[in-house]
Amino acid sequence: MAREHRGDKGPGRRYFSPRKKTCRFCESNVREVDYKNVDILKRYVAERGKISPRRVTGTCAYHQRKLTRAIKRARLLGLLPFVAD
Amino acid sequence: MRQYETVFLIAPTLSEEETEAIIDDMADVVSNLEGKMMAKEEWGKRKLAYPIKKFEEAYYVLFHYEGKPDIPTELERRFKQSEAIIRYLTVKKETRENIRLKRKARTGEKEAAVPEKEKEKKEKPAPETPLPEAPEKRIKEG
Repeated sequence: MAREHRGDKGPGRRYFSPRKKTCRFCESNVREVDYKNVDILKRYVAERGKISPRRVTGTCAYHQRKLTRAIKRARLLGLLPFVAD
Repeated sequence: MRQYETVFLIAPTLSEEETEAIIDDMADVVSNLEGKMMAKEEWGKRKLAYPIKKFEEAYYVLFHYEGKPDIPTELERRFKQSEAIIRYLTVKKETRENIRLKRKARTGEKEAAVPEKEKEKKEKPAPETPLPEAPEKRIKEG
């Protein structure tokens, strides 16, 4: 029974070609993420103002940690919204 | 000596002169406490992402300075007193020297910690293992 539900690997399933995501901070050789640079931070925030997860943006773990901190600091200073609607 | 970065937001209702006066006062705090101002940026009036204290915009000022930790505490004390400052944030800057010091501290700790643990292992278990046996025997004998 359970297999029937899970077994949607048939022809109906859509495949997405795995595009390789890379950490943009690693590529540009940046160690720290600046909380003042709103333009960069905005790219890592979803429409509602939430921080985008790593699996979406492809950021590495190290830079995701730095990024999270930077976004939170920017929010405190009113540069980024806590919630946008 | 540490490097700090302080951003503070001044209420938009103040006149230009009043804003200037506040910024100069804060800059004096840094110089009076033997700090070195490395950068002073005024971003001017910016729209806030969300209202803070019912203001929709604020005047942003950034200080980047080097000095003892009493400078940020004094600055923040003044920010709290002043009603014109609606938000502030102080950040310690990671300079190359700081990173090196941290690394040294970390490796130093490891080097120091390892021999201590080894000592503990060598010293403690050795006397501990024979000891429990000895009292037990005594109790049994007693």
